[in-house]
Amino acid sequence: MKDLAFKTIQELKQLLENGDVTHEQVLDYFIDRAEKNKDLGAVLEVFDKESVLNSFKSLGILSAIPGYIKDNICQKDRISSCGSKILENFTSNYSATVVNRLQQEGAFLLGRANMDEFAMGSSGETSAFGKTKNPWDKTRVPGGSSSGSAAAVAAGLAPWALGSDTGGSVRQPAAFCGIVGLKPTYGLNSRYGLIAYGSSLDTVGIFTRTVYDNALVLSAIAGLDLKDSSSLSVEKKDYTQRLDGSLPKNLTIGVIDDALEADGLHADVKKGVEDAIKTYEEMGATVKRVRIKTLEYCAASYFIISRAEAASNLARFDGVRYGMRVKENSLLDMYEQTRHDGFGAEVKARIMVGNYVLSVGHAGDYYDNAQRVRRAIRQELDDAFRNVDVLIMPTHSAPAFKFGAYDDNKLEMDLQDYFTAPVNLAGVPALSIPVGFSQDNMPLGMQLIGPRLSEGLLYQIAHAYQQKTDWHKKHPKI
Amino acid sequence: MKITKEEALKIARISRIAIKESEVDPLIKQLEAVLSYAERVTQVAAELDDQPSNRNVNFLREDVVVKADPEPILERAPEREENYFVVPKILDKK
Repeated sequence: MKDLAFKTIQELKQLLENGDVTHEQVLDYFIDRAEKNKDLGAVLEVFDKESVLNSFKSLGILSAIPGYIKDNICQKDRISSCGSKILENFTSNYSATVVNRLQQEGAFLLGRANMDEFAMGSSGETSAFGKTKNPWDKTRVPGGSSSGSAAAVAAGLAPWALGSDTGGSVRQPAAFCGIVGLKPTYGLNSRYGLIAYGSSLDTVGIFTRTVYDNALVLSAIAGLDLKDSSSLSVEKKDYTQRLDGSLPKNLTIGVIDDALEADGLHADVKKGVEDAIKTYEEMGATVKRVRIKTLEYCAASYFIISRAEAASNLARFDGVRYGMRVKENSLLDMYEQTRHDGFGAEVKARIMVGNYVLSVGHAGDYYDNAQRVRRAIRQELDDAFRNVDVLIMPTHSAPAFKFGAYDDNKLEMDLQDYFTAPVNLAGVPALSIPVGFSQDNMPLGMQLIGPRLSEGLLYQIAHAYQQKTDWHKKHPKI
Repeated sequence: MKITKEEALKIARISRIAIKESEVDPLIKQLEAVLSYAERVTQVAAELDDQPSNRNVNFLREDVVVKADPEPILERAPEREENYFVVPKILDKK
């Protein structure tokens, strides 16, 4: 049997078209590979072969291409646990729109990817079902909250996976694992069937090892869905069209000084991003330095808004209609014990922060001002895009850290979102791509950020970079 | 920024989350750290020119009643009786 582990979607399509492998061989190979790499903790469940084959279609842009779905995106009659005990045995009775669209394009949905509980975390450590390890160094975290999706793709368990990005949960783990991660424009990918965390920030994102593959998956899932009231009126389109390896003519890139010169930015990350900027200059791009002065207030604004929305969204887990229930004699005790036992510590803390910032006497100071900062960063980025085509900043402040590194400093863990959350506040798209390795051989990531609905442009610019560099061709020894 | 034990218990109650004595102190520590950091939005907000909010328009649809089988919903309940969700007794006899 051919070694298919690190084949891209493009390569697998070619092998299938040429008849070098059959769709069943592809499926067998990747189910087997998942079983052999269980210790990675990336996958919560690999589905049985027959049930995956049921949805096989010989036509479609992702025909017989296997991938994983983060466990907060519903798949009909499968468990959707959100990495939480409270939904441990919950099966969804419908599929998310993005799942339906992947199946319409013939994709093999192999299983459920591990994640931080309710997408709250930056390391995968808050999952109720075990930690996910970083394939590059198993003593380190893969990032989060889409920990399993990122680790699975980086380890060659599949060429693509879906995640969700509310404050950085696709881009940061993509950077930690050395792969490509897209956070799309808010409203481009339907949220129908994505279990809500912060509804005004939530997006369904995509992990792949190449930019081209990422564009293929987006082509399958993007576009208007009337089941999501915040969906944008965008037609389905082919996002691979502009990927010819060239940069757009007269491209101007803005480098966010406030990020690249930030205190605490790891020297290796800084160097990785600076080298990538040099590559773009050599390719003919004009590079400008820009200031985004609201940047330093975005994490604070994001903490408040995301926790407030979470407090409201997670009120539905009450032990009445679905999920787990702790038996008690009074209704109030049943609610309180169910939520005490069902939620992990991080989720409970975020719900409480949310209720605090929304409560009488505090909402004016916290929530209203956070919204004001949100409007300001949105405007500031819009203004910046009048002078530059795209913006660049690091995805993360430092390479992947060791397990337990922030057990005693939860605020430092929360600040993993520092460079990523501004993008969610503004609702614009960003693509994280690998740009090198640290001195201790951990991957480094950089974000390309564009105006709303500029995914095609971001892909073109990132794809051109991948034609000049080979960071994306390096794989961990697994 | 300080949070008293009473405030922490009150927030837990509003959140409908039971809290054990041993959980109170770590929770207060975490709330104080996040909220102290978050306070910086208050310091900057006054200096910001306020901007109009996002003009995205939500899709709306007619509110139409459609016939649907309640069984797939009800069968997921921890406890049900016929077409009802069962909860612990809410009303007591005087």
